[in-house]
Amino acid sequence: MAGSSVTTGKRHGFRTLHRKKQWYGFFFVLPAFLFIFAFMLYPVVYSFYMSLHKYNYVFDPSPVFAGFGNYLKALEDSTFRTALKNTIVFSFFYFVLVMAVSLAIALTLYHVKRFQSFFRTAIFMPIVVPVSLSALVFLWILQENYGLLNYLLRDVLGLAALAKPWLNLGSTAMASIIGVSLWATIGFETILFLGGLQALSREMLEAAVVDGADGFKRIFYVILPNLKETYVITGIWAILHGLKVFVEPNVMTNGGPGNSTLVVYQEVYYNAFNRFEMGYASAEAYILAILALAFSLLNMYINRAKD
Amino acid sequence: MKSKWINGIMYAALGTASLFFITPLLYVMLTSFKTENEIFRVPQSLLPDALYAGNYIAIFESGNNFLRYFANSAIITVTGVFFVLVLSALAGYGFARLPFRGSGAMLAAILMTITIPLAVFLVPIYLMEDAWGILNTNLGLILPNVAVVLPFAIFIMRANYMGIPNELEEAALIDGCGVFRTWWSIMLPLVKNGSVIVIIHAFYNIWGEYTLAKTLATKPDAMPLTVGLTLFKGEVWAFGMLSAVIVLSMLPPIIIFLVFQKQLIEGISQGAVKG
Repeated sequence: MAGSSVTTGKRHGFRTLHRKKQWYGFFFVLPAFLFIFAFMLYPVVYSFYMSLHKYNYVFDPSPVFAGFGNYLKALEDSTFRTALKNTIVFSFFYFVLVMAVSLAIALTLYHVKRFQSFFRTAIFMPIVVPVSLSALVFLWILQENYGLLNYLLRDVLGLAALAKPWLNLGSTAMASIIGVSLWATIGFETILFLGGLQALSREMLEAAVVDGADGFKRIFYVILPNLKETYVITGIWAILHGLKVFVEPNVMTNGGPGNSTLVVYQEVYYNAFNRFEMGYASAEAYILAILALAFSLLNMYINRAKD
Repeated sequence: MKSKWINGIMYAALGTASLFFITPLLYVMLTSFKTENEIFRVPQSLLPDALYAGNYIAIFESGNNFLRYFANSAIITVTGVFFVLVLSALAGYGFARLPFRGSGAMLAAILMTITIPLAVFLVPIYLMEDAWGILNTNLGLILPNVAVVLPFAIFIMRANYMGIPNELEEAALIDGCGVFRTWWSIMLPLVKNGSVIVIIHAFYNIWGEYTLAKTLATKPDAMPLTVGLTLFKGEVWAFGMLSAVIVLSMLPPIIIFLVFQKQLIEGISQGAVKG
C-alpha cells in the first residue's frame, strides 16, 4: 500500500539524515575545537613534555631530556619553596575569608527585602573591573603618605598608630594582597551562594518554620547543611583562584618586600619569560596544576553527598 | 522586637559591605578630577575642590601611549568577542543537537580545560606564537583569548540549545530545510539570551585579561590597557592622569554591567552548575 512505502521512505530518510547530522555535528564543533586544541589541549601535553626537559630558550639549541629533574630541582629550590609557602598561605586565608564572607553576604541578601538592587549592584560591580587596574587603584589607596586608608585611620578615625606603609612591610603586604583579591571576587562567590540558596526547596523551608525552626535556627539546622553542592562549586572556585593568584602581587608588590609575597605563578612567569628556562618553568606550572587538582578533589570528597 | 534589631543589623551590614566595594571605584573617579597639588595634599580632600578636567585633557596630548593601549584593548576585545560568539553558537549547537562519535569525549576535554591554571599554557603558547611570528601583535592576543573564553561560552550555548523543544527543528528538517539553514534561521534566534550572556562574559573577561597580555605583548605598542597602565606605577607617582585613564578603562565593562546585570548573574550561576 501507498501508506507503508511512505513510512519506509520516511524511515530511510531519517537514517541518512542521522548520518548526515553526524557529519554536520562534527563540522559545527570543529572550528571552536581547533582553537581550544591549539591554545589549550596541545599546550597541556606540550608543557608536560617540556617539564621533563632542560631547555633554555635563549642558550640551548634544543630541549635535553632530564626526566623528573626539573621537579626535584624545584622542590629543593629555596625561592620556589618560599613561593609555594606564600601561595599556600594566600590560598588558605583567601579561601576561609571568601567562603565565610560571601556566604554571610548571600544569607543576608537572601533575608532582606528592601534596597536589594542597590546592594547587589554595589557588591557585584567589582567582578567586571579589570583586576590589574583595581590593583593600581589599591596601590594608591594603600600608599603610605597620600593613600585613602592611612588618611581614614589617621584623620577620620583617629587611629594614627595603625597607619603604616602597607605594601612595604613584610607583615602587611600579604594581608593587603589578600584584601584586594577579596574585594575583587567576593561578588562572584556571593552570586554562586545566592544561586544555591534560591535553589533550596520552598516546602522544606516552610516545614522548618512550622516545626518551630525560624531565624537563626533555620539557618544553622536547615539552610547551611543543605548547601553541600554549592560548597563544592564555590570551594573549587576559591581554591583555584587562590592557587593561581598572579595579577595582584605582580602589579602591587612584584613579590616583595623581599620575597614575602612571591607566589608560584610569578615564579613560573619569571623563570619562563625573564630567564627563559622553559623546561624548569613548565615543571613549576605543573606542580601548581597538580596542587589545584589535588585540593579540588579533596574539597569534592569532603562535601560528597552522604547517603 | 528582637527581629527588628536583627533586621537593622542586616541592613547595616549590607550597607557597610556596599560601601567597601564601591569606595575604591568612587575614590579613583573623584581623584581623576583633582589637580596634582590636591592629590598630594595632606590631609587629603574627599571631594575635589573643583571639577578639574586637566587630567582627561592630558590623555589626548602627545607623548603618551594611552590611546595606543586603548585602541589595542578595543580591537582585541571586539574581535575576540565576535569570534567567541560565532564559534560557540556553532559548537554549542553541534554538541547539543548533532551528537557524533567522540563528541562526548570532545566536550569533556573542552570543559576540563576550565580547571587548569593558565600558567600551564603560557610557555607552549609563547613558543608557538614566537614560531608563527605573532608575538606583540593584536592577533597574537586575540587567538588565545578566544580559546580561553570558549569553553565557558560553549557550555552556556549548549545549555541554551538543549532547552529548545525538539519538534521545532525536526519539523524544519522534514520540510527540507538544510541543517545549516535550520540552525541559522530557526535555532539561532531562539538562543538570544544565551548569546547575550556569552557576549557580556567574553567582553569583560577579554577586556580585563592581564596574564596572556603580560606574556605575549612585551612591547608597549602591542600592549592592551591592563598591562600598559601598570608601567606607570612607582613609589610616588603622578596619579592624576593615570586615575583619569583608569576611570575611562573601567567604564566600558561597568556600563555593560549596569545594563546587563541580570544576564551577568545568570551566566555566573549557569556556568557554575557543572563547571
